[in-house]
Amino acid sequence: MSETDQSILVMEGIGKAFPGVQALDDVSLTLNRGEVLCLVGENGAGKSTLMKVLTGVDQPDSGKIIFDGREIQPRSPQHAQELGISTVYQEINLCTSLTVAENILLGREPHKAGRIDWAKTNTLASETLHNLLGVDIDVTKLLGSYTVAIQQMVAIARALYVASAKVLILDEPTSSLDEHETAQLFKVMRKLKGQGVGIIFITHFIDQVYEISDRITVLRNGKLVGTYETAAISRVVLISKMIGRNLAEFDEMTKTKLESGKHIRSEALLQARGYGLTDAIQPLDLDLHAGEVVGFAGLLGSDRTETASILFGVEKPDTGSMSINGKKVEEHSPLESIKRGIALCPEDRKAAGIVDDLTVRENIILAIQASRGWLKYLSLAEQYELADQYIKLLNIATPSADQAVKNLSGGNQQKVILARWLAINPQVLILDEPTRGIDVGTKAEIQKLVLSLAEEGKACVFISSELEEVLRTSHRIVVLRERQKVAEFAGEVEENTIIHAIAGSEA
Amino acid sequence: MKRIAAFLEKNRKFIPLMSTAVLALLAYAIGAYLFVGMRNPQVFLNLFRNTSFILISAIGMTFVIVTGGIDLSVSGVMALTTTAAAVLLREGMNPWLVIVLMLLMGMSLGAIMGTFIVKLKVQPFIATLAGMWFGRGMCYFISDDAVQITDPTFQIIGKTKLLIPGLMELSERQGTAAPFITIPVVIAFLLLIVAIYVAHHTRFGRTIYAIGGNEGRNEQSARLMGLPVDRTKFLVYTFNGFCSALAGLSLALFVESGHGSYAYAFELDVIASVVMGGTMLTGGSGYVFGTLFGVMVFAVTQALIQFIGSLSSWWTRIVIGALTLIFIGVQTVLANRKSGPRGAQTAEGVAAKRRQQRRLAFGLGAVVLVAIVATVFVSRAGPSAEAETSVAAACTVQFRETEAADLVRAGAVIVYNRAAGPLCVDELYAIYPDGRITADDGQTQVEKQISPAEVEQLLVAISVDHGWFTNEIFSTYLNPCRQCFAHYIDISYGGQQKAVTGVDGTTARPPGFAFALAEIRPLLPEIPVAP
Amino acid sequence: MKKNNDRSFTWRQVTNSTLFFPLVALSLILLFDFIFIPGFFTIENRDGNLYGSLIDIFRNGSTVMLLAIGMTLVIATGGVDLSVGAIMAIAASVAGILMNPSALRDELFFVTDPTYTFQPLWVVIMGALIVSLLCGVWNGVLVGYMRIQPMVATLILMISGRGIAQLITNGLRIQITYKPYAFLGQGWIILPFSLYIVAFIFALTWILTRKTAIGMFIESVGTNFRSSFFSGIDERKVKLLVYTFCGLCAGIAGLVASSNVRTSDANNIGLTTELDAILAVVIGGTAMKGGRFSLFASMIGALVMQAITQSMYAIGVPAFALQAIKAVVVILVILLYSEQVQAFVRGLGASRKRVKS
Repeated sequence: MSETDQSILVMEGIGKAFPGVQALDDVSLTLNRGEVLCLVGENGAGKSTLMKVLTGVDQPDSGKIIFDGREIQPRSPQHAQELGISTVYQEINLCTSLTVAENILLGREPHKAGRIDWAKTNTLASETLHNLLGVDIDVTKLLGSYTVAIQQMVAIARALYVASAKVLILDEPTSSLDEHETAQLFKVMRKLKGQGVGIIFITHFIDQVYEISDRITVLRNGKLVGTYETAAISRVVLISKMIGRNLAEFDEMTKTKLESGKHIRSEALLQARGYGLTDAIQPLDLDLHAGEVVGFAGLLGSDRTETASILFGVEKPDTGSMSINGKKVEEHSPLESIKRGIALCPEDRKAAGIVDDLTVRENIILAIQASRGWLKYLSLAEQYELADQYIKLLNIATPSADQAVKNLSGGNQQKVILARWLAINPQVLILDEPTRGIDVGTKAEIQKLVLSLAEEGKACVFISSELEEVLRTSHRIVVLRERQKVAEFAGEVEENTIIHAIAGSEA
Repeated sequence: MKRIAAFLEKNRKFIPLMSTAVLALLAYAIGAYLFVGMRNPQVFLNLFRNTSFILISAIGMTFVIVTGGIDLSVSGVMALTTTAAAVLLREGMNPWLVIVLMLLMGMSLGAIMGTFIVKLKVQPFIATLAGMWFGRGMCYFISDDAVQITDPTFQIIGKTKLLIPGLMELSERQGTAAPFITIPVVIAFLLLIVAIYVAHHTRFGRTIYAIGGNEGRNEQSARLMGLPVDRTKFLVYTFNGFCSALAGLSLALFVESGHGSYAYAFELDVIASVVMGGTMLTGGSGYVFGTLFGVMVFAVTQALIQFIGSLSSWWTRIVIGALTLIFIGVQTVLANRKSGPRGAQTAEGVAAKRRQQRRLAFGLGAVVLVAIVATVFVSRAGPSAEAETSVAAACTVQFRETEAADLVRAGAVIVYNRAAGPLCVDELYAIYPDGRITADDGQTQVEKQISPAEVEQLLVAISVDHGWFTNEIFSTYLNPCRQCFAHYIDISYGGQQKAVTGVDGTTARPPGFAFALAEIRPLLPEIPVAP
Repeated sequence: MKKNNDRSFTWRQVTNSTLFFPLVALSLILLFDFIFIPGFFTIENRDGNLYGSLIDIFRNGSTVMLLAIGMTLVIATGGVDLSVGAIMAIAASVAGILMNPSALRDELFFVTDPTYTFQPLWVVIMGALIVSLLCGVWNGVLVGYMRIQPMVATLILMISGRGIAQLITNGLRIQITYKPYAFLGQGWIILPFSLYIVAFIFALTWILTRKTAIGMFIESVGTNFRSSFFSGIDERKVKLLVYTFCGLCAGIAGLVASSNVRTSDANNIGLTTELDAILAVVIGGTAMKGGRFSLFASMIGALVMQAITQSMYAIGVPAFALQAIKAVVVILVILLYSEQVQAFVRGLGASRKRVKS
């Protein structure tokens, strides 16, 4: 049996560039009939861009797509669907206000003399769910009354029934599912495999990758790292392929780190004991010292961001307690944290970071103004002074401090947010993925900045999916895996050790 | 109790609807217990007669709200319909042609607004607001004053009594007139049935439901699934324009006139009714059938307040506002409850949500019921308890009976007091045997002179020819509508004196009374409006 | 950084200014008046007070201008307040009843003495303002803390507000004869007194929003409340504040309006004014989805609306036609502000489009 007979989908040499960043660089992918292919990679690896190209949301700059032996150029998601490629997103693209049966058959409901034949519709929907997926539910209930897990099943059923999909893309479907529901989903996927459907399964849960997939394609920084048989690659190797070292210069960084390490104080600035949130973080202990950079390492799904959120007070923890400078923390809100001197530079720049219509100056002084309250307004002169100070310090590329932030590039926006948090002169600075989606030059700048901040006496937390970055900038590394802290290492640790810790194996 | 719970569990989605229905019926039952007058089946049927136009409008509005939009123009289109229809009929146009034209006009206005919303992406709030202003403004272009509708066809359609078979024996036993409904009520119910069919059995109706809800994400999904979202939204606004025009016609039939000030703020009542019927303002859920009960709650509230009498009719607005708040508040609170740390719907979360919903619905229903009962009992302790014959007008103007008596003593042969109406007037006229006519509206006094012969002619026509002093002429009452005038006529002739009151918008008015009204009015001087 | 040639850079600066479109609209109307209405711009001086059509625009528009001030802040947070008309009526009722509480005894005692008032003026004004402030708090709690959609939440007070106003005056329309109160809306000190009230409130609000952090917080919450939250801004408090303030503005407007017609008429005071206020803010360029706002632009928007009304009166258009004209204006504004037209006008001067880097 030749490869081309088995393969339902071939993507060759796909390239896609956005202003300032090469999202995909000569990426290729093959999907066979009746197999589950896992597409893995950390954020910014290019997974979503690749899928957008496949489903017609974006057009590739180069490369071609061959589907079922013919070259195709999907123009839109609907077009892709017509061709036989369906996607089930994490945010279900169905109508929650209609019943399950309606959602499955929407647009193709059987009619009888001008009116919808409900009996037939419901029967057809039930049968589809039962035959294709092995799922039995009451199809006359509203979709919105079911859990996300069931809604996904319905979405899959629709993709198969209405669209006769030959390729099914499941984009992070298990993020909102519990163990039992995940098992059910896998059962359905195996059934579909048996029917010859090719499935692209995007996930960041390594265990699930090994449980369900036949082959794995790894992307990193827009490039294809490789495609492997699942049975033939170990966890450790896989993880190192995903986040392992980039042959870039980091000796320079290590030297800087060693020197700055001398400034670390011994008593803890921030102490968290048994801090946890149900369904988000298992209770953990954490100590932060002034002058130290602590790196959080782990894959997506280990909930590093959630940990940061609790520390900053965005969410209230269920268990445990935290104290700063010896005083116990009672109130949990960003404002309180700011007043106590904790700053969080959030992961999602667009949604939780910039206020895009406001100017650079206003964005920079936002947090410090919030901490001063409504009445003690910084005079305009003071505001400009602050803004100019940080524009120079961080090298923010903007024509003036009055430029609307939305007009800046991603990297410069990140710098503006960083400036905002530096402006409050925090004791503890938590940086969640501060270098994501930023060009290499700025990345190095930010890493150097973090180290110098530690030198000034701050306690920093540095969260990143790029392991080598974490290694470069941290004095101490905390490893998180699947929502709990599993290990802690001093800064001189070997990369392999960390990878093993992340993988959860001993060897 | 357990069986009720199980039944409710099975039909969970009908809970809001059922709670409204229960509320409406229970409120009416309490009213019937307290007030003898409410036990008359006619009063129950009058609920529908008085609100047929609200129901018609609410049916269209339900569709609009289910798609996640809103239509504020309904009152403007209704007013425009009444005015345009009245004027066209006055000019002698064929009544059926007028009806068709009005419906077409409503549809066109709806279509224009729909285009703004769909094509130009204007927010429905603003686009339909403009529509409302435009509609009302156009009324005044057409006619400054209220225009009476005297066209016979319209009168027939509006006044025909459709007797209810089953209730005829009951009324005979009670000794009251046979209960009836009117044609507009039938039309409203027919529309309801058609709407329910469309909503649940046609692709168009399902698309409407698909578009709304889930904060606009459903609309995106619907588009992705290939549904004709734009076309459906456009048609929904066009249909609502049709409903507004139909409601306007129904209103015109009810009050037999047209004016730009009619239907003032009706859109609020309509929206409140739709919300109380279980339709969420965020769209995507709600039953057209529920709207019927929402309108009923509105009608029962109005009726109760009128029967209580000591509370004036503006309490209706307050109560409706409070009820709407409760319904909306419950809806929002339930929607905002996250069932997991990230808001995802886990199995545990869904079950917990359902339990909460049930408890909240029952709890609030109980609270509202207690509130209504308490209000009724408290106000019963007030001055005018059994106000069956109270002509509680839209504004709190009472007939100036003592002044009228004075005028009669001073020698007036005809005293006419016209009160209420959309502009809340209070006009007292007196006609003397020497042909002098005085008019007084509380601020200005005017006088006019006609010949004594005319006065004599008038008196003869009213009393002799049309039997004013016979038993054929009697006072009538009706739960008055907001636009209705209340009339008080006191005639003295040949040693006899009799005063009769009546309200606009009733078909139970004796023809002699209407004749007197029709004969007296043209002779009266016009009172200039005070600057 | 792209380099634009000088001409387009200036044009872009002009068109980008938030005041551009409303000023253009106002200028067009005034131009129309200048050409077609003789004597529109004449101002006469009678006993030291100025009168004229131009003055009338300001005087008659003062109610809407007051409302627009409060409404601008509400809309800047991404909300809307439909109840301002009802709050006006409530404030007027409170004022009326404080001056003449005989209505509560079921029979209105007609006051004819212009110096009579049951409560002193300051009590009357304070009472009305406190009540309207409470109405604003009610709205603010519903929107900010209970997270009910603003349109829906303020609809409640819009529906029941006039009923409440009637409740306060026991359903009767109270004639206001107390002279000092009447001065609010009808007095003149060189210029109409209501103008001074507007100017005062405008100045107060401007100081409040631009000289404290509140203005920036409002704009931040309106643009992106999540980012604001992460920066330590409590959106609930901000929303409570703006709705309360809007209620206060509506209260003041209610006092001015009732002093103008000399009655506290729960049915008619403030009728449709909420729509005028929203339209004024929209014409002024504050987007309904929230974000940046300009009080001055909203004032101009209110003036535009009033100028249209005044001009129509001056050329003899009967009162009833005005509503239809307003509707046409709304439609024109909608078209003018639609993205297609705006892009076209901006494109008139620009030589190159900016590319997002």
